[in-house]
Formats: sequence, C-alpha cells, structure tokens
Amino acid sequence: MIRIDNLVKRVPTSEGELVILKGISLQIEAAETVAIVGASGSGKSTLLGLMAGLDTGSSGDVSLDGHSLSALDEEERAMLRGQLVGFVFQSFQLLPSLTALENVMLPIELKNDSRAREKATQLLTRVGLGERCHHYPNQLSGGEQQRVAIARAFASEARILFADEPTGNLDSATGARVIELLFSLNKEYATTLVLVTHDERLARQCHRTIRLVAGQVVSDEINADTEAQAEVAHEH
Amino acid sequence: MSTELQGTLPTAAPAAARAVRAEALSASTLLRLSLRLLWRDWQGGELRLLFLALVMAVTSVTGIALFTDRLERALLAESANMLAADRVLSGRGEAPQEWLAEAENRGLQTAMTMSFGSMVFSDNGNVLVSAKAVSSDYPLRGQLVVAEQPFSVGAPIAGGPPPGEVWVESRVLPALGAAIGDTVYVGEAALRVTRVIVQEPDRQQGGMMDNAGPRLMLNTADVPATQVIQVGSRVNYRYLFAGDEAELLAYEDWVDALAAGEFRMTDVREESAEVAEALSRAESFLLLGSLFAVLLAGVAIALTARRYAERHFDYVAILKTLGCTSGQIMSLYLSIQVVLVVIAIVIGSFLGWAIHALILQALSAVIPIVLPPAGSSPYVVGSLTAFICLLSFALPPLLSLRKTSPLRVLRKDLDGNTLSARLPYGIGFAGALVLMLWYSQDVLLTAILVLAVAGVVLVLSALSWWLLRSSTSVGMKAGSAWKLAMSATRRRRKQNTLQVLVFSLTIMCLLVLTLLRTDLVEDWQAQIPENTPNHFLMNVTGEQVAGIETFFRGNGVEPNQFFPMMSAGITRINGETPRPRWDEDDDDEGEQNSVTERAGGQSGAGAAAEGEQGEDGRRRVSNRQVTWTSQLPRDNQIVAGSWWGDDPQPGFVSLEDDYAERLGASLGDIIEFDVGQGQYIEAQVQSLRSVRWDTMQPNFFVIFSPGTLDGLGGTYLSTALMATEQKVLINELLRQFPTIVVIEIDALIAQIQTIIAQVTSAIELIAYLVLGCGALVLLACVTATLDERFRENAILRTLGAGRKLILSSLCIEFAGIGLIAGLIATLGAEGSLYYLQTQVFQQEFTLHYWAWLAGPLIGMGVIAVLGVAATRRVVNTSPLTVLRHIG
Repeated sequence: MIRIDNLVKRVPTSEGELVILKGISLQIEAAETVAIVGASGSGKSTLLGLMAGLDTGSSGDVSLDGHSLSALDEEERAMLRGQLVGFVFQSFQLLPSLTALENVMLPIELKNDSRAREKATQLLTRVGLGERCHHYPNQLSGGEQQRVAIARAFASEARILFADEPTGNLDSATGARVIELLFSLNKEYATTLVLVTHDERLARQCHRTIRLVAGQVVSDEINADTEAQAEVAHEH
Repeated sequence: MSTELQGTLPTAAPAAARAVRAEALSASTLLRLSLRLLWRDWQGGELRLLFLALVMAVTSVTGIALFTDRLERALLAESANMLAADRVLSGRGEAPQEWLAEAENRGLQTAMTMSFGSMVFSDNGNVLVSAKAVSSDYPLRGQLVVAEQPFSVGAPIAGGPPPGEVWVESRVLPALGAAIGDTVYVGEAALRVTRVIVQEPDRQQGGMMDNAGPRLMLNTADVPATQVIQVGSRVNYRYLFAGDEAELLAYEDWVDALAAGEFRMTDVREESAEVAEALSRAESFLLLGSLFAVLLAGVAIALTARRYAERHFDYVAILKTLGCTSGQIMSLYLSIQVVLVVIAIVIGSFLGWAIHALILQALSAVIPIVLPPAGSSPYVVGSLTAFICLLSFALPPLLSLRKTSPLRVLRKDLDGNTLSARLPYGIGFAGALVLMLWYSQDVLLTAILVLAVAGVVLVLSALSWWLLRSSTSVGMKAGSAWKLAMSATRRRRKQNTLQVLVFSLTIMCLLVLTLLRTDLVEDWQAQIPENTPNHFLMNVTGEQVAGIETFFRGNGVEPNQFFPMMSAGITRINGETPRPRWDEDDDDEGEQNSVTERAGGQSGAGAAAEGEQGEDGRRRVSNRQVTWTSQLPRDNQIVAGSWWGDDPQPGFVSLEDDYAERLGASLGDIIEFDVGQGQYIEAQVQSLRSVRWDTMQPNFFVIFSPGTLDGLGGTYLSTALMATEQKVLINELLRQFPTIVVIEIDALIAQIQTIIAQVTSAIELIAYLVLGCGALVLLACVTATLDERFRENAILRTLGAGRKLILSSLCIEFAGIGLIAGLIATLGAEGSLYYLQTQVFQQEFTLHYWAWLAGPLIGMGVIAVLGVAATRRVVNTSPLTVLRHIG
C-alpha cells in the first residue's frame, strides 16, 4: 500500500543544511496499522507529511497504492490525497467557519457525491455526535472536535489514514476514547492506518511500531499483543 | 529529484499515474460550497470589510458618475440656454442657404438671428435700439420670457414675434412715449408693439451690436421691409442649431471644411470664457474626486482582501489535505469573489443612485432646472470598476492562496503565511493605472496622481526607514507605555511602513481635495464678487464724464473709474515688422473671448482686422482698444518690470504678458503704434501684466503711461452697478447723454453666479463622499494588524500588564504613525497640488502654510482615535478568549 525507498529530507537553515530524514526505506501493507514513534525532532511528523504527499522528499521516493509521489506534481498529489488519503491531526484542523456536519460533508462534496449530507450525518451519528451536527468547532470540546475530524477522515472513504498525534491535545481519558473510536472505525473500513505518536501505549495498539531516532529507523517491530488489545477495545 | 537516485526509484506504473484524475467540481457543488463559505465568512465578520470596500467602490463611483453625468447634462443644458442653441454658427455675412438645408437634412433644428443697431421712431420720440430679427423657431434652447405690460413679471412664450409685430424691452416704451399696441417705425417698416421682453436667453451673446441699446425684437420676415440692411451695414448673423450631439459634431466638421475661416461654429464653452472656465474646473475636480474615490476604495479592497487571504491560508491547507487541487481552490475562491462582487454591485448601484438622489435633493435650491435623466453608463462604470478593483486589488492576494503548502496542517511555521508583496502591489498599481486612465481619459491628471503616489512611496521608504529604524532594542520594553509603544513600532516595522503608506496616501487624497476645493471656491468668489458692476458705459466723451458721475450720484449709483480708450494698431517692434504667433485656433489673435474683452478690447467703431494695411503701407499686425492710466487696474498684476511710479512719464507702455509673448515683445522693446489718421507714436515696454479676464470687468492688453496719447482723442469706458429697479435710470441717462452706449451684463452675471453656486455645492458633496472612502481605508488599514495586536496584548495581559498601559501604548503607537503619515501626506499633497493647480486647474499655486500644521496634527488625532477605537476590543476581551480564538 505504502512503499518508501531511501527517503531523504534536507532543509536549509541559517546554520547550514539540516538533514531531517536520512534515507528511510519501508513498506506498509493494506489494512495494516503502523505507529511511528520517536522523540520530538526525530523526524516522525516530517515522515508522515512525506508519506501523505503533503510535501516532497529531497531524494528517494514514496509510492501510495502504486503511485510514485515523486512523479506527481502538487496538483496530482492533491487529487491522489482526495482519492486515497484521510487525515486526523493533533490540532483537529476543522474549518472553524463550518459546522460539524459541513466539515464532514466537505470531502464527500469534493467528490461531487450528491449524498454528502446523508453520509456525513450517518458518520457523525456513528462517532456519537448525531445531536451536535450543527455546532461549530469552537462550540465543541477537544474530544468532540477530534471525533468530528475522525468522521471527516472516514467520510472520504480513504484507503489510507494518517494520524498525527491524534491524542496530543486531549486528556488521557478522552484520548483513550478517541483512539478506541479510531481503531474501531479503522477495522470497520479496513483502512491502512499510519499513526505518529510519542505515546508508547498507543503505539502498542498498532500491528507494528517503527521507531525513529534522528531521522533514521532504528527499529521496526510487530506488536505481539495487538490483536488481543484490539479485540478488547472493540468489545468495549 | 536528485539524479543519482533516479535509477533506484521504483517507477510508478504509468497507467496508475494516469488514473489520478481530478474530477472538476460540478457547478452546483462549487456554488453551494462557495455560498456556504461566503455565508460563514460573512457571519464570522471576515468578509465584511472587504464587502464594505467593494460596496463603497461601486457606490462612490456610481454615485459620482450618476451625479456628474446628470449635472454635466444639466449644466450644458443651462449653458446652452445662454446660447439659445447647442451650437452657433457666426461669421462675416450671411451663410449659404444650402448649409442650413444640410443641417435640416441631418435632422438638426435650426433658427437664425440678425442683430443690428437702428433708430426706432414713434409719434412721440425715438431711441437707438439693438434690434434683433429672429426666425420663427427661435429660441432653440432656453426660454424667451415676455410680459403684457412694461416693468411687470413675465411668462415664457414659445417662439419670437410674428411678422408685423415687435417686442421690446420695458424701457424702450417710456423712451418712445409709446404703449403696448402702438405702432413704431423701424426704418421704413411700421410694426406694432405687442409684448415686452423680460428675459432673452442669448441676450449677451451677439457681440457689441447686441448690447449697445435696449432690445427690439422683430421677425426676420419683416427685415426687408425696414430697408435698414444695406451694403456695408454692420449686421451680426447668427445661425442656431440644436439636436443630437453626434449629429452636431458631424455637421460641425462638415461646415468647418466649407467655411474656410469665414464662419465659425461655437458652443457655450467657446462663447463664454467665464462659464467654460467654471465648467471645466468643476469637471476636473469631480473627475479627481472620483479618481480618489476609486483609488481609496481600491486600497481598501487590497488591504481587506490581503487580510482575508492571510486568514485563509490554514483553510486552504486543510482543503488541500482533503484533496482539493489548486484549480478547485481557485474556482472556489473566485466564485466567492464573483458572488461577493455581484451582490456589492447590486447594493452599490442602489446606494449610488440613492446618494446621487440625496445630493440632488440637497442641491435642489441651487439647481432650479429639471435634470435630464441619467443614462445607463454610470451603472456600467460602477460595475466595471468593481470588477477591475477585484481583479487588480483582491485577486493577487487570493491567487497566492493557491501556493499554500498543505504541510501547514502539520507545521504552522511554514512560509505561505505572508504574502509576497511585490506582485500584488504591482498588479494593484497596474489596475489602478488602467482604472484612472479609463475613467479620466486624461493622461496629465493620471500622470500627476501617479507621480504623487510614487513620490509619497519614495519619501516614505526613506523616512520610515530612518525614523523607525533607530537603535535596535531587545524585548518588548513593557515597563512604560512609551517604551512599549516604541518597541511595538519597531517590531512591526514592515506592517507599520505599509500602514504609514496607506495612511499617507489617504490623508494626501483628502488634503488635496480639501485644499483644492477651498482654493477653487475662493477663486470663484473672487471672480465675480458681490456688487460686481453689471453695466458697461462706453463711447463716453471727456466732457461727459463729470456729468455722468453727477447723474449717478444724484440717483444713488456709485460711479466707477472712467478708463480713456482708443483704438491702436502695432506696426513695429524695435523697428522691425513683428511676426506674431497667434494660435491656429484663435480667430481673434487668441484673445480671450469674454464679455469683458468684448467690452474692453473690441468696442467702438472701426476696430481694424488683423493684418490690415495702414495708411502708408505699414502693416498693422494687431489692433486693440488701448487705455492709459496712472493706477494699476484691480485685476492686474505686474509679472515683469515695474508699474509707473508716483510721477509717471509719457512714452511707456505695459502689455499683458501672454499677449506680449505671442507678439514677440519683451521688456525694454520700443513699440510703434498706429493710432489712426496717419499718426504713429512710440512707447517703450516698461512692464508686463497678468490679467484676470474672467472677472467681467474692463481690462486691456495695452495700457500706456498717462500723457503718451495726449491730444489724440479717444473716448471713455466705465462701469456701474445698478439693481433691477434702477434699470429704468438708463433711459434717463441715455436721454441726457444720447451718444453713450450702455451694455447690460446683469443677466449674464446672474447666470454665471448660478452656475458657480451649483458647481461649488457639487464639489463639496464629492469631497464628502471621498472623505467617506478615506475613512473606510483608514479603518481597513487599522483592522489589518488587529490579529497580531490581539495576540500580543493578550499575552501581555496574561503576564500582568494593565489595561491602561496597553491602551496608552496603542494610542502612542497609532498617534506616532498618524503624525508621520500626516507629514508625508502634506508633502505629497502640496507637491501634487502644485502640478494640479498650475497644469490642470490653471490656478496660481501658493503654499498652504496651515496645512503643514493641520496635516500632521489631524493625521495624529484621527489615526490615534480610529486605531484605539478599533483595537479597544484587544483590552476588552478576556486574554483566554483571545488566545483560544487565535490559537
């Protein structure tokens, strides 16, 4: 589903060039859930941005569902994101001037789907916000906003979901509930989930944990107890 | 992609890559999305200022265009009344009949008048009248007002007297000892007096012969019977035309080609220098006002669109992560703008109409005439202005939204949160230039404004850099309001420079309009002040002067100065035959075609035409009515040399400066004059004078020092102020001094004063409208930096800064910016006024000293009040709310 080959990202700084990612190569299969962990500044968010086609690497390549991102320009990458990718961000990134319902409708409408309202309402009900469809983001709590963001991510029927510190702005109880919802929907929609976090507990809920240190992959492990935990979460 | 890695890269399947295809947003989705965003942005207040700026642009441009369009038509109609036609053809004889037939073929209305001096007799007396024979369609424009009895109120009537009848001005009847219904004799024709003329539209337009006595009007059909027109008679033929402007222009070209200088077609602008000047200045002012309104609205649009765009970077980044392409984003934002513009056009057009209606309502007292309805062009102009403003001012910042990196959703620090300054400003400048040129069709006016703006930008760049740079400082210096304000000013140097620029330009526009308005109004008031003499007395002999003075004093009229006057032609300058440079278009040696000049420069019999041969073969290149006086006349100013002192010596002459230039004469030159009857005198040019020709007072191109023309004869010219009820005195005056000629210009003065009152009110209202635009720009500019101020001050308050400290610091910061802006604005205003007044408005430029104090002080006060008022919320909103809202 996702293939990364020798990906390098350099950025110019006032003190010279800074290499954020130093030749990363990995492969993520369809429906796999992968956590990318690492300390602040390890390059995990940069890697997520490059995998999602939000930016391009200095060298190397990322391919999503067979599409080499380096061969695409920003316009084509945007189209690819629209078709393949969904996002959940630490800061929710809802459009403040749209209601919860309109935020979720947006990716559906961008696909010219006439059933946008119906689908969005269903999704909001699914995330437990059926009653708050017409609230604006600033009228919702952090947890609720993140649930709207999750509903929006699945609204586009994306096959790959990228989540950047999805619980970073939430307290642990709310965070746990949001994660539970995320995994549950992920399983329901059989989506490939790539999750950036520094929360080891959250990482353990994924099939696989990739650890980054100073822009390099230092470990790439399958989590043994993932299935069990996922089951528990699902039942709960 | 780096080349060394190319080989190792997996090449994506071409088929798969092609599968990545953007489905264009359907029109309905696009419209729905844009309307939703528009509505939300409107509710959020983000679009309000942009919308307001657009509405203001449409309102001001449509309002001003509607008003000027209708006023222009009205003023031209009013002015056409002074001609009794739209165009007048006049010349040195009768025009060929086929010319008139051609005019009628072209669908033009035609009429003709013949003016000549004639004695009229009755059984009881006689009087010299200025007779005017009119054809049956006279007048084509304006109204002839007649009464049934002398000295009574009249009513308009269609057409002139029918054959067999004459109409006369009231005072003719007592002079003849006749009454309505009596028969009078004009030459050999016996005609019955049936009505009294109260008002005649083109009373002053027929030249000297039309003003040399009271009016008697007859039908052209009766002229042959009078037998007064003989070969060599002085008759002024005028052919009147009215109709469609395009047709008139075409006919004018047709006639010009055939006339070969013998005939000349004129409109009111050429006929009356006084009105033409007022009209052209008012037009330039209105145009300038509209240009400023457009420019200011454009700046407001640019500022608000920029802020709108900056607030939408995150928005676009999110849309991009959701798969929106740049094209879709542009379509979305463009449709928002188009919807916004269309709504702004609808509302602005309505408001523009309302404003122009309000202006007209306010002016109803000074615009007694019914205005012709406006055409559709003002609405088109307003709508196009909105689109051009949007394209040039709002689109560039919105276009830059397209480049927003989607990575902003992860990293806020990414570039893209600030707009590239040069391109939008460049496009905005180009747009403003196109708008101004299209709007004014006046390269000079546009060039002056562009230069003024460029000058302000230049001065500002240097000054603001120097003033704001000062020493570098660390931290916010939050100890005192002064230090806090200074450090804030330095930290926001870039935005502040932009703010100072916008403030400077706005204040400059407002200062230019205010100062220009004041100067124009003062100038007009000075042109024809109250109690301007409204009658000319000519052909007065030296012996009659004392008697006339006594007559006036005895009847409560203050006598004025008597100017001696005689006809003289120039034959030599420094012994050479002069080769004057008269302008091609100036028939009459380029002289001012004003009533004054008609009175002062061409009066009396025997004024020789240009180039006439003198009696001994010497060629007279210019023939003028000249005078001699020891006192410099009121409307004259010495521009070179000196006026004769307390003991003037004969043998010197003073020339009007433009006339001297065209003649090729300068100070110290010896000029030989042909003073008639084979006599020549020489005089040395001692001074050059500038003369104000539009004051309706006697003025002369050539003034001799007293004694130069002694013993050469000549007559006197004077003026008198007589109220309507005193006009009957003219009869008695003419009875006592039958050889003098009285020219009545009271009606003309009243007409000119009405027109001036109208244009004065009009320019004042336009100035207020532009002030409104200026206020909007100032508000938009202050609001532009609101976000950052909110954030900064919320942090300061969180850290314990008091409300008073923050408010004082804001006040000081804005006052400082206002002071600098006011100073630069005054500099720019004076610079542009210099060019505007000397090049466009033909006025004299003097520095406006008070503006140098008022400009900076007003700038400081207004910006401080406006700034603090707009940013008051900064301290009135809880820091938590601000921080949560801004994030």
